[in-house]
Amino acid sequence: MLSALPDAIAILLSFEGLLVLVLGTVLGIVLGAMPGIGSTVAVAIVLPFTLTMSQAPAIILLLAVYAGSVYGGSIAAILINTPGTPQSAATCLDGYPMAQRGDAGLALGWATVASVVGGLVSAVVLIFAAPQLAAFALQFGPIETFALILLGMTCIVSVSTGSVVKGLMAGMIGIFLSTVGGDPILGEMRFTFGNWQLFAGFNLLAVVIGVFALSEVFIRASASVNKVSELVAFNGVVLPSWQMWKGRFGNLAKSVAIGNVIGVLPGTGAATAAFISYAEGRRSSPNRDGFGKGEPDGIVSSEAANNAVTGGALVPTMALGIPGDAITAVMLATLTLHGITPGPRLVDDNPTLIAAIFAGFFVINLLLLPLGMLLSRVAAPILRVREAFMMTAIVILCAVGIYFVRGNPFDLLVMGGAGFVGFLLRRQGVPMAPLVIGMVLGPTLELTLRQGLILTDGSFVAFFTGHPIALVLAIAAVLALSLPLLRALLARRAS
Amino acid sequence: MKLTTVFSTAIAAAISASAALADGFPERPINLIAPFNAGGGTDLLLRGLAPHFAEAIGANAFVSNMAGGSGTVAASALQGQRPDGYQLAYMSITVSTIQPQIKDVPYGLDSWTPICSVAASPTLLFVSNDSPFQTAEDVVAAVKAEPGKYVYGSSGPGAMTHLTTVAAFAGLGILDDLKHLPFQGSGPAIKELTAGNIQFFGDTEVLMQRGDFRPLMVFNSQRLENYPDVPTATEVGIEAPLNELYLWGGLFAPAGLEPEVTAKLEAACETAVASEGFQTFAENSGTVINYRGAEEFDAFYRAQYESNGALIEAAGL
Amino acid sequence: MQRLANERVIVQLGLLIVAVALYASTFQQSFSASDLAQSPMFFPRIILTLWIGLAVIALVQTIRADETQPVIASWPRIAIVIVAALIYCNIIASEGFFLPSVVFALVCLPAFGIRNPLLVVPFAILVPGALVLLFNHTLGMPLPTSRFTYLF
Repeated sequence: MLSALPDAIAILLSFEGLLVLVLGTVLGIVLGAMPGIGSTVAVAIVLPFTLTMSQAPAIILLLAVYAGSVYGGSIAAILINTPGTPQSAATCLDGYPMAQRGDAGLALGWATVASVVGGLVSAVVLIFAAPQLAAFALQFGPIETFALILLGMTCIVSVSTGSVVKGLMAGMIGIFLSTVGGDPILGEMRFTFGNWQLFAGFNLLAVVIGVFALSEVFIRASASVNKVSELVAFNGVVLPSWQMWKGRFGNLAKSVAIGNVIGVLPGTGAATAAFISYAEGRRSSPNRDGFGKGEPDGIVSSEAANNAVTGGALVPTMALGIPGDAITAVMLATLTLHGITPGPRLVDDNPTLIAAIFAGFFVINLLLLPLGMLLSRVAAPILRVREAFMMTAIVILCAVGIYFVRGNPFDLLVMGGAGFVGFLLRRQGVPMAPLVIGMVLGPTLELTLRQGLILTDGSFVAFFTGHPIALVLAIAAVLALSLPLLRALLARRAS
Repeated sequence: MKLTTVFSTAIAAAISASAALADGFPERPINLIAPFNAGGGTDLLLRGLAPHFAEAIGANAFVSNMAGGSGTVAASALQGQRPDGYQLAYMSITVSTIQPQIKDVPYGLDSWTPICSVAASPTLLFVSNDSPFQTAEDVVAAVKAEPGKYVYGSSGPGAMTHLTTVAAFAGLGILDDLKHLPFQGSGPAIKELTAGNIQFFGDTEVLMQRGDFRPLMVFNSQRLENYPDVPTATEVGIEAPLNELYLWGGLFAPAGLEPEVTAKLEAACETAVASEGFQTFAENSGTVINYRGAEEFDAFYRAQYESNGALIEAAGL
Repeated sequence: MQRLANERVIVQLGLLIVAVALYASTFQQSFSASDLAQSPMFFPRIILTLWIGLAVIALVQTIRADETQPVIASWPRIAIVIVAALIYCNIIASEGFFLPSVVFALVCLPAFGIRNPLLVVPFAILVPGALVLLFNHTLGMPLPTSRFTYLF
């Protein structure tokens, strides 16, 4: 594939290639930065245009818009506490406190650099190690995935700001919400109470936007508004200096690795990676005590991981023809339209195309830095409008964003309900991040648990006896749960 | 000022709508609903058809997505709409004939005015290339020897992939000796077929080509051009109605559409499907075109609804 | 203080009651699955049991603890914003995107303290109008339209 690189670069440097790279990334960042509008809508907007393009630019446009919108999502998450996608929910946890402290520009700077590093490393990994990683992905059957998701669930404890009991309860509510609708094994309807709208279950994005963005509007409406005319002090991205990075490289490297590995495993996704990475940072970072209060390592953990997932998700997509997430599924369908069969022979049969896609992905991540800084400078004045205009616009944009996720007005009701309930719960100190984790991981947890029970004829013990990877992950999950409790217990005894 | 404009536009719209529904049709854009997410197979097929359809009907046509519940949410929502011909859904065999028989959805056999069918691909039962099974007889012998050992996958309960495997194994009389492992979509299932956690899967030719897989039988009336050595299900000994399965789809309007409007839409659909642009599109994307006019499609749809009932019973759904 | 204490307890109690009611509802449907682990209610029951357990602990903690919570600065404002947003989400399906958005902005902006009509009215018309122009008439992915015309 490397021999095809010169041809691939020629494609990127063509007028069409440069145009889609820059415009796609800009469009992605702008759309992603709008509260309530996330990757799904951004991709849906450009999809019709990709149909008339040639192969490589079509895929690169999708990638650029996607990567841009993931990065843009962190802007909304940090500045106004309204993540447009589940994967930037973890970024809120430290990004928003930091912005409130007055360091909004710096918070975005950490997010930008972490995103770029995560994306670039994953692009390099993709170019050099795709076949090996794809073989690794095949090792992960339902039982291994179950153990991984179990490990992911333990991060509910780490992201429970305030009360752990309330955090766990929010997690359970999230998992429960994900069980509404069709049963994944038998197809029978659960908790729908005869309402066909619920056959499809609660939409994850509608709930996420409701409990984060809409409830944020309600919370601001309940506080006194007159004193603020400016939301946050923000004049554009401020990059962290080399000095500030000292002692943070370990956490960055670990986050990138987590994002890459989880991205490779189909059916897990960027939100999972961001939360697991955040939890791991909170456990092992030298700055762990500041997590949740505006600690840069928290932003870095989440952003480096969720951007590294994109490259990781391309591995099974390109090497095996198996989409790693929703966006790679769209890419595969687009390739099919252009007469290209995705599958194990994709790379061998179309070396130039694949090299162009991989190189394009690398360039997109490079572009995030200058374009992110430029756009944030342009966008800064928008944030100086009175809170009233911003809040009204957020509600309207959320309605637009959620309507386009599935084209179903019912999701708007779900968003409204989630916003109201989220407002009530947040007032009681119930954290919302665990609810999102529960809803993201819940379906896979149940599906893989029951798939595993089918494969082992109902023996839960057999999950771990014949599956070493699952055993290791399960032990890690138990340790992750018990260590903080032990530590707290010891600390209490000491004092 | 603003209000009066709104009001007069509204009256104008109301008058024109009632006076010349059939004559002037179409006088505004036509909405083609894909009951799945943007970027999926159904959505892209419809997006490939839409420009040619628009040209043929002489009005704008746009594709909108309403995803969820294996397509039933869009169908349920459309079912209650006024049949004015401005809203059409592209529904597949599963959305129109299978889901209403296994779920308590608000639509059924008589909820639709079929307009035209567009595509139909036969499904195949296949195994991984390194699988020891070469023929259906191998499978029967192995499964009979070790009941409960082998696993077949599907992209979800009640999906086309599920029905294909059920038709194969029920037809061979070994369904109860196999385990069913559903996944969320064909992608993960194909991964497990490659990895060896499941041994059998059934889908269309386009999807089968995504991996190193070997077909055992095809649910078609005759052998496929690309696989002349692969027997049809009938040749393997599977009897009707389990022997032929097509992933077909076509345009549907809500029931009660005026015949003149149906005729216009049907004619536009025929022109669009036959257009050079769509033919090229179909060739590139591996779509098997299968056009049927409104009347023929209606009869076909009703027959399918009947015969798929037997399949659903066999699957135990 | 009394009123605040009540809100905390009521919300926690509400979470517990919802969980118990949902748990009870799992016994009303009958399913075809033969073995327990493959029953559609197997997994939800585990989750609901954990939810109920945690809700009891949280309720006890809430009753015992004497924590304060954010005070509501203006009851009329929060009531107007919540009710307006909920109605807005409900009527987009039937009345289209544009008209409800205009009305919502006309209600929400004054609630947040902007009373100058020269600011409120243009914002209320231009923001939704621009979105309708963009999505319905430029990108060809229309937002819901009103019962009057397909144009907005």
